[in-house]
Amino acid sequence: MARYISRRLLLSLVTLWLLATIVFIIANVLPNDVGRTILGPFAPQESVDALNERLGTNRPIFIRYVDTMAGLVTLDFGDSFITGKPVLPDLMAAVARSAKLAGLALFLTIPVAILAGLYAARRRDKLADRGIVLLGVTSSSIPEFVTGTILVVVVGVQLKLLPVLATPPPNADIPTQIRYLLMPATAMAIVYFGYIARMTRSGTIDVLQSDYTRTAAMKGLTTSQTMRRHVLRNALIPTVAVIAVQIGYLFGGIIAVEKIFNYNGMGQTMLFAAQRKDIPTLTAGAIIIGIVYMLATLTSDLIIAWMNPRIRLDSDS
Amino acid sequence: MDNQYDKVRRSTTPLQLDVVEAFARGRLTRREFIQRATVLGLSMGAIGAVIAACGGSTASSAAPVVSTAPGASTAASAAASVPAVAGGTIRVAIQRPAGPVDPIAMLDLGNYGTTAQCFEFLCALDKAGSNITEGLATKWTPNTDGTVWTFDLRQGVKWWGDGKPFTAADVVGTMERLVASGNAGLKGVLGPGGAVAKDDKTVVFTLLGGNGNFPYLVSVFNPQSLITPADYVAGTTLDKRPTGTGAWKLVTFNQATGATYARNDDWWGGKTALDTTEFIYFDTIGPMVTAYQGQQVDALVQFDVLSGKALFDDTNFNVIATEAALHRQIWMRTDKGQFADKRVRQALALTFDRPALIQGLFQGKAQIGNDHPIWPGYPYFDPSIPQRVQNIDKAKALLAEANLTGLTADLHCGQLLEIPDLATLLKSQAAQAGITLNVKVESLDTFYGAWWCPPDPKDPPCSGASELGIVDYGHRATPDVYLNAALKSKGIWNSSQYASPTFDAAFSEFQTSVSVDAQKAACTKLETILNDEVPIGLPYFYNYLAGSSKAFTGIYASALGQMFLSSASKTA
Repeated sequence: MARYISRRLLLSLVTLWLLATIVFIIANVLPNDVGRTILGPFAPQESVDALNERLGTNRPIFIRYVDTMAGLVTLDFGDSFITGKPVLPDLMAAVARSAKLAGLALFLTIPVAILAGLYAARRRDKLADRGIVLLGVTSSSIPEFVTGTILVVVVGVQLKLLPVLATPPPNADIPTQIRYLLMPATAMAIVYFGYIARMTRSGTIDVLQSDYTRTAAMKGLTTSQTMRRHVLRNALIPTVAVIAVQIGYLFGGIIAVEKIFNYNGMGQTMLFAAQRKDIPTLTAGAIIIGIVYMLATLTSDLIIAWMNPRIRLDSDS
Repeated sequence: MDNQYDKVRRSTTPLQLDVVEAFARGRLTRREFIQRATVLGLSMGAIGAVIAACGGSTASSAAPVVSTAPGASTAASAAASVPAVAGGTIRVAIQRPAGPVDPIAMLDLGNYGTTAQCFEFLCALDKAGSNITEGLATKWTPNTDGTVWTFDLRQGVKWWGDGKPFTAADVVGTMERLVASGNAGLKGVLGPGGAVAKDDKTVVFTLLGGNGNFPYLVSVFNPQSLITPADYVAGTTLDKRPTGTGAWKLVTFNQATGATYARNDDWWGGKTALDTTEFIYFDTIGPMVTAYQGQQVDALVQFDVLSGKALFDDTNFNVIATEAALHRQIWMRTDKGQFADKRVRQALALTFDRPALIQGLFQGKAQIGNDHPIWPGYPYFDPSIPQRVQNIDKAKALLAEANLTGLTADLHCGQLLEIPDLATLLKSQAAQAGITLNVKVESLDTFYGAWWCPPDPKDPPCSGASELGIVDYGHRATPDVYLNAALKSKGIWNSSQYASPTFDAAFSEFQTSVSVDAQKAACTKLETILNDEVPIGLPYFYNYLAGSSKAFTGIYASALGQMFLSSASKTA
């Protein structure tokens, strides 16, 4: 197991280097003048030239690349082109905000979606199954920004039940923070309910049809005993893998929801940086999201290995 | 004419006297007189005496500057008529600052609004939101030709950051930093060493040339001219060194989420009614509007007609619609291509249905433009130039004369507010005269970088731009930037490549003139030339929109993202 983890971590470093390189290339080869983008169209050219000189964005691209990579190795992500402050503290604050939102969304989705998937699988082709499948397909096919907008208009503006902004007041206690995050988290949870419920359902149906499940039933185990001892651990393996991927996505990809609810998580932070050519923030943000993805998938692999011993993690093959 | 009037005439400087005479002889309307007299430093008492003596003039042709939702009173009048209660917090929705909160280097509305809570200007904004009034300066006086301006500073003002007194050294230090940074308003007007402290309470500005509008350049209309402490070195930001002389003290600042302020108990203006203010940052206007509808903000520093339609119908919302010089320029290349012939440019301008554009895009909250950037709100605007109106037959005739019947051109613009809709409307209006416009809407980066004013070639500037496009211009207290940068030969934003010695001469005349008659005469020439030669089409000047819940009163705003809350209070 230790060997597997070491190997995965090593591969992760290579992946992160590739990721940083790709982000650097995309951010630098696009035909845009960093100084002009930051100072705006009305700034005099002398000011733009001076800013490019100060930021070093007029140096040869290879030199900039080497500097950026050297900084990443020493965990020095540099200073933001926009604020002039080190990028890491602001990004970590954004990560924390995203973690709260993603955590609440997953907390709302996972138990309900798994229970719904299991229930549907056990009542395959019956009315309940059809209803859950239909609900899952519908909920996952409506984009988050549509669900979010409907929630804002109905729950926030018309009924005034929940705040329409997701950012709680400074020093808010946990219940208040949850209250502010409930609407955006619900908008996200509705979409992921469909994915997770359908994945759980199909995994469970596969396991229910397997020989070992039939054997367990024939040797006299009750349905709940069979589910608990033989079905759940195997049926949830694909679900765990899906959740791991969704965690990474929830951290970095929910720009639309963050915009609707004016929440400055990683999505808005990265978009802001991209629009203003803030390359240090953009590169560091991509690395952080990459790390979250890798940790999530590594954790899911370990959980899957624990759930199913047949998966030989430390095999040399 | 009474004794009081004579006393005013005797005590004024030659420039001030020129304005008084112009008003007395009916060459300035009452509104124009107040505006010009304030800029030239006449006291309100003297202005009142002159108006009383002259019995006012014919009613101003300009519309009221501040208006509110239909049927509602203005924000300023609401302040006078609605009972208020002390205490409380106001939550304000504002654009997220696009860069560091550096009062000297800032360039965006989010920063302007954030810094203007703490720092103050020599000349502040009056509560009607239209003109300048006393700020950190209590009096300003020009010499005979407007080359030297003397500012008397307010006494008893303290910096809340360290409790030190505000002095002339702070003004001189700020001006030196502004000049060194190449401040767009002061460039070419004030040089290094141009501001000198005569004593602790007086600053003398010696300008590079005569300028009758100088107080505007050290006012709220030049947002970077906020006065900062003498030792506030370039690059210092408000959050790193919180201080100011204003009504509010910065308590917390987070570039991602917002800022909070508390009352400055030592403010020279007295105790504010509200205890605290909270600025919440937004990237786009849509969520600002929903935040107001969801009762999570009380005021919006800016919104546009398209995103904020619901606010106009909200009876609990005060719309502060400030008439401003905000406009769009439809540039046409004058040096080459299909629009090089002025008849073609005139033809396109004749297809504009300006009232329809104003109604369709702004629900009427804009003023009609006449293809030049002299805004009707400027005191030297000449309304006698005939207004161009839609005339499709004449447009067709001009195109036929130029042998360009069936003209086809690409119309480039950026994805910004109403501009894509304007392009679509122009396309349909031009089609009536047989002109085919292919609308090309791009991201702002692509538009500015590739079509409006690409960095290469640098000489002449903007010479790689397309032959036809729409570009946005913000509010300016004087039209110098529009004329100098966008229309003067080799101007840095002259995307139409307009080069007219006649225009350049008229512009020089305008810049160097300080008397009312001379400025008006120069403006008449500028308006006439531009209206005839049409290097740019300019169909409207639109209002700057801000607003607040009627649960608050006494709020006023500039057209530059600054909302002033020192007089704000909750209504009883």
